[in-house]
Amino acid sequence: MIPKPSLVSVVDDDESIREALPDLLRQFGFAAETFASAEAFLASEFVTETGCLLLDVAMPGMSGPELQQELTRRREKIPIVFITAYGDASVLRPLLARGAVRCLVKPFSEEALLDAVGAALT
Amino acid sequence: MAAQPVAPAGGWIGFRALNGDDADAGAAAADLTNILDTVEAPIVVLRRDFTIAGFNKATADEFRLSTSDLGRASRDISRLAGLPSLEQQCSEVMASGVEERTDFRDGDRWFVVRISPYANGERQVSGTVLTFTNVTAFRASIDQVIYERECTKAILNAVPDPLVVLSADQRIQSGNRAFYSMFYELASLRTRLKGMLAGGRAFDPIEVDQVVPGEGRRRLILHAHPLALPGHPERRVLLTFEDITARAQAEAANDLRAIAERKDGLRRSEAFLAEAQRLSLTGSFSWRVSTDEITWSEQLYRIFEFDPGMPVTLELIGTRVHPEDMPLLRDRLERARDDGTDFEHEHRLQMPDGSIKYLHMVAHGTRDEDGRLEYIGAVQDVTVRRLSEQALGKAQSELAHVARISALSTLTASIAHEVNQPLSGIITNASTCLRMLAADPPDLDGARETARRAIRDGNRASEVIARVRTLFSKKELANESVDLNGATREVTALLLGELQRNRVSLQLELAQDLPTVTGDRIQLQQVILNLVRNASDAMAAVDDRPRQLLIRTQDEDGDRVRVSVRDSGIGVDPQNMTKLLDAFYTTKSDGMGIGLSVSRSIIEKHHGRLWAEPNDGPGAIFLFSIPVSRRA
Repeated sequence: MIPKPSLVSVVDDDESIREALPDLLRQFGFAAETFASAEAFLASEFVTETGCLLLDVAMPGMSGPELQQELTRRREKIPIVFITAYGDASVLRPLLARGAVRCLVKPFSEEALLDAVGAALT
Repeated sequence: MAAQPVAPAGGWIGFRALNGDDADAGAAAADLTNILDTVEAPIVVLRRDFTIAGFNKATADEFRLSTSDLGRASRDISRLAGLPSLEQQCSEVMASGVEERTDFRDGDRWFVVRISPYANGERQVSGTVLTFTNVTAFRASIDQVIYERECTKAILNAVPDPLVVLSADQRIQSGNRAFYSMFYELASLRTRLKGMLAGGRAFDPIEVDQVVPGEGRRRLILHAHPLALPGHPERRVLLTFEDITARAQAEAANDLRAIAERKDGLRRSEAFLAEAQRLSLTGSFSWRVSTDEITWSEQLYRIFEFDPGMPVTLELIGTRVHPEDMPLLRDRLERARDDGTDFEHEHRLQMPDGSIKYLHMVAHGTRDEDGRLEYIGAVQDVTVRRLSEQALGKAQSELAHVARISALSTLTASIAHEVNQPLSGIITNASTCLRMLAADPPDLDGARETARRAIRDGNRASEVIARVRTLFSKKELANESVDLNGATREVTALLLGELQRNRVSLQLELAQDLPTVTGDRIQLQQVILNLVRNASDAMAAVDDRPRQLLIRTQDEDGDRVRVSVRDSGIGVDPQNMTKLLDAFYTTKSDGMGIGLSVSRSIIEKHHGRLWAEPNDGPGAIFLFSIPVSRRA
């Protein structure tokens, strides 16, 4: 039986990110799903299946940190790697404190991405 | 015929009775007897040898004489003992033929005795007649009058102030003891009294200085009172002298005290002035222009750091004035010398240790009675104020700089955010592309796709940069045809990331076929950028409702184009509406308020206007409207 590849879900309102990331993730051997908003992800069927969540911080509607809190509330222990174009340490530190695995600042290299996802899935 | 003693026959004792055969004589004698009986005054006739020839009934009653006393010598009459000189007096009267009077006291009764010569028919003085007039009552009343007069005199003499009654021609009628002890003569007063008494003039009190022997100088006020005595028509004047020496001395003492108090007060106010000068670092000066004589207050010496009391000259002052300020100061003083008008001047001092002081001088020109010009003025050491103004100015420009920087940094963050998204896309796509090419077999379709995406992301990034560059380029005010819909879209594209980060949902309601306006596209975009930024910031604290930002463009009657930016934020206090559009007024702590006033001036340069309206609901609307382009 072929082991099912881990599912990495990408939640980001930026189209460029949603287009580029899944192909690279598949190159790494992961399965990838993309969502334009946190609400779309929560409404989907992929929540429990997600092995790692690549999550943007600033989004209209429910933000990345808010999604993090919602998942905690639902006791969905999905490891989260935040991806953000905004590099302020005062924003990122609380995210790590609340249990995020990594915070990646755009643009990030493929090595950084691989390392973060790997850490999330172990 | 010699008189012979006869028995008393009433009326008269001692004279022979008349023969009864002469009826007329008898009647006359009876009349005489009646008259003599009614006479109350005792009458006694004495012979030359002082023996009693006869006496009347009153004598018999008064002195208890009887017929047995006839012929007796008067000196033997005990009741006449009160007349010791009687015989001598009678002799004198008989010799001179002139009557005399004498007092006679009998017990508690007083008589005045009139001694008259008694001449008989042949005109020979053969004796004396003594007539006793009872003056007891009279004398009592005289005594009373004398007593009262003495009482009054005693009272008047007890009065310490002099009193004197003068006749109209200044003769002293009477004066009290005090008068005589004080004024041994009136000569010194006469001239002053003359006017007073010479009829017609009112009696004004006059002040008099009198040296009283043994007591020294006294100050008196002389009052004159007309005296009208009943039954005495001649004018008299009562002079009273009020001794005000003590009062004058007290007044003098008061004056001295008042002077001392004034001196004290003056000393105190001088001390206050000196203290005020020291506290305010202000010194005062006077400059007599014709002689260049200069006086300084103590504080001014302190400011210039010269020894107090040193003679001050223009040369001395010049040694302290900052060399750069000297020519201007010299010029100012020359002008003042010429025209004498008030002036103000500021200059620096350079102290020996090299430190700088800033001085502010005010001077007021006055002319003395001879027309000579003198300046009086004040010099204040305003160094502290000047330095703090400079520091403030520096701080303000630093603040403005920081504000620009922070605005810039916010913008930079926004730009960075915008650029980082496509950059991230490029890197991710390129990484994927390499991997696909390295696969076995290479995934050429995939590689092409990723490369295409990378190019698209690269273009997106350069668009952002280009937009930013055009937005902030320093071009001259262009006069082009501007489509405000397109301009709005570009601005919002630039701010989309920032708005999303702030969780602001943006709505655009752009009118169809919006007429164009004439102006500078970049500047108008700056205005829209500013309004949108402000709207977003106004909602930063809003959590209980959606943060909604609406940008609307409208055609106003074909005449003007209106752009409005509406937010659902904290709104604007009506009181602050007008203030908000004033330069430098901002409720935000990062100084972004200046953008609003610049925005307004841009719109006004475009012949438009910018204003704010309250929202129906929370938040505010900021709007501007600009005239539509004129058709050429």
